[in-house]
Amino acid sequence: MERGYWIRSKPLYDSLVWKQKATGHVVIAQGEGGIAVLKLFQQMCPREPITLLFADDASTSKNYADIIHTLVPEGVQICDSEQAVLDKLQAQLPNYLMGTQFYVAGSEAFIWDVLAELKVYGVQDINVEKELSGTLARSVYCVHCKTTDRDVHHSIHQCSGCGRHLFVRDHFSRRLGAYMGVMVDAEEPGNIPAKEEIYP
Amino acid sequence: MNMAFKQETFRDDYTYHNSAEAIRRFPFPFAEDEYMYSVNIEQHNGGEPGSVFEHAIDVDEHYVAECEDRRIVLEDDPNRYIALPHMMDAQWDMVELVMESLSRDYPDLFQLTRDGDNWHWINQPLGIDQKFVFGDEATLPMQPCEYITRQVQGDWIILDQRDDDLFADLGMVTSQADWSMAFDAGMSFKEWHGPVPQANELGIFDRALKYLLHLQYGSPVRRLNWTMTINPRLDTSPENYPFWGPDNVSVTPDNVGDKVHLRVELQALFRLPRSNAIAFSVRGYLASINDLTTYPRWAKRLHRVLTNLHPDLSEYKGLDNYRQMVIDHLAPMDDGEELALGTQPE
Repeated sequence: MERGYWIRSKPLYDSLVWKQKATGHVVIAQGEGGIAVLKLFQQMCPREPITLLFADDASTSKNYADIIHTLVPEGVQICDSEQAVLDKLQAQLPNYLMGTQFYVAGSEAFIWDVLAELKVYGVQDINVEKELSGTLARSVYCVHCKTTDRDVHHSIHQCSGCGRHLFVRDHFSRRLGAYMGVMVDAEEPGNIPAKEEIYP
Repeated sequence: MNMAFKQETFRDDYTYHNSAEAIRRFPFPFAEDEYMYSVNIEQHNGGEPGSVFEHAIDVDEHYVAECEDRRIVLEDDPNRYIALPHMMDAQWDMVELVMESLSRDYPDLFQLTRDGDNWHWINQPLGIDQKFVFGDEATLPMQPCEYITRQVQGDWIILDQRDDDLFADLGMVTSQADWSMAFDAGMSFKEWHGPVPQANELGIFDRALKYLLHLQYGSPVRRLNWTMTINPRLDTSPENYPFWGPDNVSVTPDNVGDKVHLRVELQALFRLPRSNAIAFSVRGYLASINDLTTYPRWAKRLHRVLTNLHPDLSEYKGLDNYRQMVIDHLAPMDDGEELALGTQPE
């Protein structure tokens, strides 16, 4: 395919920036997303009520949880897993007011897990600030057996569901939070290119 | 129109074939010697008698066999039908659109009696006789849109309109040219067209979306699209690529005329009255190279279009393995005669 070609369903991520019109701010981050949170609070500390849900990860390069505690004046909730953050978010979502703004940082899989929770309450992903942090790992949906594998670093990827070798396309489904994986050797069975780490 | 419905298959032994009449009415898409994407939308308010454009929804000699092929696909993979929960009004809109169109345009085959919300639907070719209450899901054997799209040819994608965009939130897709409804469900207009090369650069999606957002009830529109398929296979889905992928490398100079099919999609768009959604039908017509070359004008035209095709489009449509073989096969039939504008066979 020629240079300049890109698939429009591939999400683009930016740096978190405060939205000025808000009744409250909910910041949700995971692991290396901690640096995005710190950058955000170095812009300013907003007047409106703040909630910060952070999934701490011992393997991160810095101890973000401690720094966040010193920098963020209220509403900090540190959890020890992504799932705990998602559970808390789900429990607290009914309490947030119309006009609440959401900010998400972390791995791509985490970002779209959060957006799936928000979607239940009608929050559209284009209205959510998103910053990709720490890893380019992808979730890959096998179009043949419908298994989604998380933390995929390589194309070609062997599907954990059906064992087929999948070429990872840039075509992304927001509903599934995953890229499409398509059998790479369907036309010539056994002709499988070497796998390369392109999503470190 | 030939209304003797064929018993034929679109898989395994591939007994599908076109009658001479079906070839004659085939919606050959190339009016010029070169092809590039364009919006190419026109009104879909009737066409020449006997043509595929005559009625809102075309029923032809392959109707019964295509419905059977859809049944087989769904039995294997029920997720080819996807309905997001907010689309129930649109589901009933679909029931109305299909039943009213078919009973109006083919009264000998389909009959609809309405007494308030009590509807009585008879589909003779498929042997269906169903009384139900319009708007009451419990009175049909399955969801309304699944029920009715099992009784019509072509894929149907129902687009919800909100935030100045269109979202693929409901669909029956069993005969697609290599895209997945299960994967694309919920996507916006530009997202699901994401992989198409060249068209973004031409501004086609911007213009098409702007146009469709203003589509009016009672004024449906249509366009043609095309690709090529090896064997008369309807289910060229990414889901089943492992099964049809090997066919792409099975073409030889000896079998090219039989094996390679031009697959033309008649895409029609209807505004739906209750939901304000848009029904997008993608009806595929298949004709082998041998079918098409019964008309010398089509042989010449196809030879030139394939020769001039942009390499990105050839790759995207998956033609690279066999395009040159088709060109070589057609070359002796092309004397270089200048062809006037138009898609007509003669």
